[in-house]
Amino acid sequence: MANVKLTIDGKTVEAPANTLLIEAARRAGIEIPAFCYYEGLALQAACRMCLVEVEKAPKLMTACTLPVAEGMVVRTNTPQVAQARKSMLEFVLTNHPLDCPVCDKGGECELQDMVFRYGAGESRFLEVKQHVDEREWSPVVFYDRPRCILCFRCVRICAEGMGVAALGVVNRGASSEIAPNRGDHLECDECGMCIDICPVGALTSGTYRYRTRPWEMQHVGTICTHCADGCKTTLGIRNNRIHRGNNRDRSGVNGEFLCIKGRYAGDFAHHEERLLTPLVRSQDGFKPVSWAEAIKTVAGRFAEIRQRGGKFGVIGSNHTTNEENYYLQKLARTGLGTNNIDHHRTGDVLSLLRARVPLATTADLYHSKAVLIVGVDLAQQHSFLAYQIRANWRHHQARVYTVRRGPVREDKIAARIVSVEPGGELAGVETLRDDLAKEPELVILFGDAIQGEAVARLTEFGSSLGIPVKYVCLVDYSNSRGAVEMGVLPAEGGMTLPEMMAAGDLDALWVVGANPLRRHALAGKPFLVVQDLFLTETAQAADVVLPAASAYEKSGTVTNVCGEVQRLQKAFETPGTKTDLEIFGLIAREMGLDLKQLGPWTPSAVFAEIARTVPGYDLPVEVLEAGGAVQAGPSDGLPDAVWAPVQSAGDTLFTSGTLGRYSKMLNAVREAPGELYRA
Amino acid sequence: MPNIQEILGSAAAIAKGMSVTLREMVSPAVTEGYPDEPPRLQERFRGTHILERDENGLEKCVACFLCAAACPSNCIYIEAAENTETTRISGADRYAKVYNIDYSRCIFCGYCVEACPTDAIVHGHGFETASYNTSSLIYRKEQLLRPVKT
Repeated sequence: MANVKLTIDGKTVEAPANTLLIEAARRAGIEIPAFCYYEGLALQAACRMCLVEVEKAPKLMTACTLPVAEGMVVRTNTPQVAQARKSMLEFVLTNHPLDCPVCDKGGECELQDMVFRYGAGESRFLEVKQHVDEREWSPVVFYDRPRCILCFRCVRICAEGMGVAALGVVNRGASSEIAPNRGDHLECDECGMCIDICPVGALTSGTYRYRTRPWEMQHVGTICTHCADGCKTTLGIRNNRIHRGNNRDRSGVNGEFLCIKGRYAGDFAHHEERLLTPLVRSQDGFKPVSWAEAIKTVAGRFAEIRQRGGKFGVIGSNHTTNEENYYLQKLARTGLGTNNIDHHRTGDVLSLLRARVPLATTADLYHSKAVLIVGVDLAQQHSFLAYQIRANWRHHQARVYTVRRGPVREDKIAARIVSVEPGGELAGVETLRDDLAKEPELVILFGDAIQGEAVARLTEFGSSLGIPVKYVCLVDYSNSRGAVEMGVLPAEGGMTLPEMMAAGDLDALWVVGANPLRRHALAGKPFLVVQDLFLTETAQAADVVLPAASAYEKSGTVTNVCGEVQRLQKAFETPGTKTDLEIFGLIAREMGLDLKQLGPWTPSAVFAEIARTVPGYDLPVEVLEAGGAVQAGPSDGLPDAVWAPVQSAGDTLFTSGTLGRYSKMLNAVREAPGELYRA
Repeated sequence: MPNIQEILGSAAAIAKGMSVTLREMVSPAVTEGYPDEPPRLQERFRGTHILERDENGLEKCVACFLCAAACPSNCIYIEAAENTETTRISGADRYAKVYNIDYSRCIFCGYCVEACPTDAIVHGHGFETASYNTSSLIYRKEQLLRPVKT
């Protein structure tokens, strides 16, 4: 669209026509204060903070709703504007309590900042402020009516951003207030978007309220360890404890988006059942031992089995870092001399990589003109990807197609919906051929319903449309994609996970951050070593249990569902645990393996080796170090790896494998555990 | 040989000096008997802190952390908690579950007192904090709180 020229505070500014005045000014470096205006959300013009003087306009105009026009002359620094701001703040403060010392928002409150900058020094109101008791809408969301300034950001982010519309406004004028969708409580995604977007302390979270203050915490930006979407979450750490997670600086692929898991489900790391000391099985159950003794026990048995040519099995994790996955498979292949290495496969990434088709990034989901979602309840299983698509639909009118087994939230924004029986997904996609061929471009997301041969047929279908098509293979857990690309897969006749469990003749089984006994029975009696955070079903059957650090307690990189590699930052420590990488290194050293060939067990050294040896991973370290995301380049499709059927864990918004079972917040909300295809 | 004027001048000087000495001898002493008797401190003397209570005996501290933020030597440590319907510690929504001042670091500058929005922390007159054990210099909330009036 053509640009227009206008003058703001004597400065000539050029902006595309239809840009809002507040945005044009912001881009020119002139701040116009506002509460209700929020980039990306519908316009509200409720707070009247953005009033500015526009020449030839009879009165002050709201900059948040006024599109720029050619020759417009705007003044934001006149005494009249200053007076207007001061008066608006005075009105906002008529009933807003000055309880900043106890308010959770104190120190990072937009109202506080505005009053300091634009407000009057004192109030002229003598009337007593009305007090209303705080209300608990859910274990996550608390509402303090007097603090609310009625900017309606929460209402809009819930309806537009999340597609939930759980919040509304009741009553009129001065008695307006925000109301939850179930009368006295909320039933929603419990994502906490409303809490973070609130400019004041009207909405507070059950996790963080009254615990500490923003400046008392260290803010560590790391990657959420729950699902595979790879959202960046900035953890507030004090005393080796996570007090909150949010992403107000909008860094990372997810911007400010986080679901309940990224914000509030970090509490699993502080669960009282967390393993803090190695355990070795003796005649009468587990015996706590020192790390040195536990490593010696494991390494001794491994070395002995290796010497007599025994059979090893190694099961890797969907949660450990790329460095750990890489080191583990190298250790298994060169140190233990086995190809029996696998992980719980939740999506058929392997077949997609082999098809050598373009892969979409999370940003593509926001920009693509059309999106096809096949066989998955995206809002439940991949809430960030669903958020991107919803934003794409709102901002760019993207056309969304769903092929699914039951109602999903994406149906509401879908151009066409195809209902299918399980197994009928490919046929369902075929019925959309004519519509899809008319689109200028397309991103196809598919879950575990499409696997093996079906992936090849889906990509053939995509190629036959004659338009650019990109793909996302949906996987569960924070680093499933990385586990595949790092080679935690059997090759050259190695056994897959189900085969290892059923083999019966393994001499040793090493399970790292996985719980295969939940889904499979273990035949035979191998020497079972388990590295995990908790005493899972598998750990209970183990001979040696080694307490591992969670993803929030280590450095390294992870690869999200779209192949974007991001860096974890160590946020805190849990004394007694060790990172999986360190445990691998210690076992390798105790076994007397060739450490020169294995390489040092520090994340940066291992990543340097990954960059050299894994196709597509020669990524700019500076970008990763600075907290950015880079999509891993085209992979070679792992020609040696053995294909096996995949199965999604079927986690909802409120479950997250083993970690979810130990998150008190996830289990405390009324909606838990939730179900798929319920819309 | 000294003349008479010099002799008289010396005598006068001695008399003047002695008059000051004798006057000070009979006037009250400015030195204090500390440690035999308690020291007389100015009202605004900045000694070890006291955490005040309100008229209902509840703690005035609401754990806003502003004292800790203002402290230049970083000697104040607080953990906040929420008042519940059954246990009410402070007048506001929350209270300080833990409130420690490390007197091996405190420089008695008074910034914490100035920062306090609820006048909960004030300087008392305590100053005999010397110890052979630095860990005993971390005063806990129980040591700092104003005793409940009986």
